[in-house]
Amino acid sequence: MSRAPAPESPVVTTTARVLAPFVLTFALFTLFHGTSSVGGGFQGGVVAAAAVVTLAFAFGVEEAAGRLSPGRLLALVAAAPLVFAAIALAGVAYGGAFLQFDVLPVPKASVYATEAIELGIGATVGAVLVVLFVNLYDTEEAR
Amino acid sequence: MTADLLLGALLAFTLVTAVVTALARRLVTTLVAFAAYSLGLALVWLALRAPDVALTEAAVGAGVTTALFLLLVKRAAREDADAAAPVTARVRPASVAVAAVATAGLLATVPALPAVGDPAAPAFGPATEFYLADAAERGIDNAVTAVLVVYRGFDTFGEIAVVVTAAVAVLAVLGREVVA
Repeated sequence: MSRAPAPESPVVTTTARVLAPFVLTFALFTLFHGTSSVGGGFQGGVVAAAAVVTLAFAFGVEEAAGRLSPGRLLALVAAAPLVFAAIALAGVAYGGAFLQFDVLPVPKASVYATEAIELGIGATVGAVLVVLFVNLYDTEEAR
Repeated sequence: MTADLLLGALLAFTLVTAVVTALARRLVTTLVAFAAYSLGLALVWLALRAPDVALTEAAVGAGVTTALFLLLVKRAAREDADAAAPVTARVRPASVAVAAVATAGLLATVPALPAVGDPAAPAFGPATEFYLADAAERGIDNAVTAVLVVYRGFDTFGEIAVVVTAAVAVLAVLGREVVA
């Protein structure tokens, strides 16, 4: 396995490994609490991507990139536009305007619509940042 | 008073890191100073009670952007041995003059800004009061999120399309068809 030339210090790898679950938990917290406290999709997605980036720096970008599933990453990239469009059009389907949430037939429709969109945004922002990171780290091998 | 001191100290910190960013001889030094500048700015937002902006600034500015820049500097250094070498060019007096004039011009507009929290500021109008009241009625306690998704949803839809476009653009420029 060819690895990044940077030496893998056990301090760095252990720190990254121990921190990752906490960072990802904070990302989810930020995502889910967007409607009730500070945070939201953009911030949560970036924090989640930061966890992946930290691991990639610690273990080598190629090593980290090799563990990513292109299909799942692509699905995450597409999440926000799809969720956003679906909810926006659902408003139209229930007789409201494009992006009108309060006509949806669920209790507290605005809250749940907003949270669904925030989750989608988080998935897209996090995945896009990982895609940028992995692709800007150029590996000479053909893909 | 303490808050003013804290804000002043944070602004001084951002100023110093900004100057270091501009004057540093090595790209890596520039990046570290730029990350510190972003972190200082995030703390300024926090001191001004804009935690949503602070979180974004800290995560994007100090965190991920720095990582992407570091990656590109490393890549540039691999392709071109001179890229990571210290810059030998001196700071030109003309650049300093332009920066000074731009700074003076921006500072001249500061007295025209309303005071922090001034109820007569243009930002506090009937629209703001409607957003605050209606967001609470809808059960969304964070008015920032409510404005982003409920009232300005069309803008946010466009923004997320821009984010996706960034990934598409990078893949297109690099001529790749798979994301990872």
